[in-house]
Amino acid sequence: MAVTFIEIFLIGIGAGVVGSMLGLGGGIIIVPALTLLFGMSMRTAVAASTVSIIATSTGAAVAFLRDRLTNTRVAIWLEMGTATGALSGALIAGFINQRLLYIMFGLLLGYSTYNMFKARKSELPTGVVPDALSQKLRLHGSYYDKALGHRVDYQVTRTIPGLIIMYFSGAAAGLLGIGAGIFKVPAMDQVMRMPFKASTATSNFMIGVTAASGAVVYFARGDVKPLVAGPVVLGVLLGAVVGAKLMVRMKANRIRLCFIPLIAYTAIEMIYRGVKWW
Amino acid sequence: MVVTRDLAGKKPETAAIELVLARFLRIGSLIAAALLGIGILAMLLGQTEFAPKLITAGLLVLLCTPVMRVVVAGFIFVREKDWHFAFFSLVVLCALAAGVYFGSAG
Repeated sequence: MAVTFIEIFLIGIGAGVVGSMLGLGGGIIIVPALTLLFGMSMRTAVAASTVSIIATSTGAAVAFLRDRLTNTRVAIWLEMGTATGALSGALIAGFINQRLLYIMFGLLLGYSTYNMFKARKSELPTGVVPDALSQKLRLHGSYYDKALGHRVDYQVTRTIPGLIIMYFSGAAAGLLGIGAGIFKVPAMDQVMRMPFKASTATSNFMIGVTAASGAVVYFARGDVKPLVAGPVVLGVLLGAVVGAKLMVRMKANRIRLCFIPLIAYTAIEMIYRGVKWW
Repeated sequence: MVVTRDLAGKKPETAAIELVLARFLRIGSLIAAALLGIGILAMLLGQTEFAPKLITAGLLVLLCTPVMRVVVAGFIFVREKDWHFAFFSLVVLCALAAGVYFGSAG
């Protein structure tokens, strides 16, 4: 048993490092690892992965908040979208054609991949003009970038479109059980034109809240197995702390380059899931 | 402290909320990590009755942390009379509560 514990723990560390650096939940690593390598049921794996999203978020947020990378005001504004979206997604899950949704969201991610690839050389967004609502809500931010060695002041734009996208990203999470952070990062980076590092840190901050309501449900159903979730979550917590420390010293371009293959993979996987039954 | 120098030029209330939340999340994750670590150790030492309970307690502490984080942020906004954001926090909490309610029922 000790060996299995250590193996699961190590997978948790890896998922925590990757997830915290990229603003994702890490389910993309944990679910396949637990089902394929350890032969666990999908339910057990998804439940453990949902709890570990909270671990990624909480473990990394401490460092990101201290470094001012997290924009708490943007986070709370957008959490309204993710939380209500997740709620409506869960409510209409039974009445909706999932295949079509997979294809739609897959195409959306494909488009984001393309945009992210186009922007791969730009370190910081330039010429962002804040909209009226963003100014009224004081969503602008500033942080000291340890990789660039100077302070970055930024503005936020397209405040309402950002919220609407978050609603659909929350609905996707509620309907399909996927995409904790993969929609949030492009929405902040490409639509609201925030710096990439602020986008991943703020996404990281938000995913814990969205995952929490899902995790309560898994707990109530008894899907959270302490002997599986325990070692994973402890590893993820540790990995997230390390990943956050690494991320604040990395250039945005590097982080984006790590993000592109993951978002491309997820896009292809979702489209595949959507079409494979036809 | 270095932190104070970093804050120069930023509105003090914005700074305060980030530090308060950072401290809160750190306490939550440390308690959770301690419970999980002791639980796993106890499991390896053969305490199969007691250990899963400790681990579950650790997971529950972790689960409550982000929800409580929204509550804490909401209180800070109320104290600062930032009514917009206090209201946004309330919307998030209600949506989370409704999600748990419908999720557990379904």
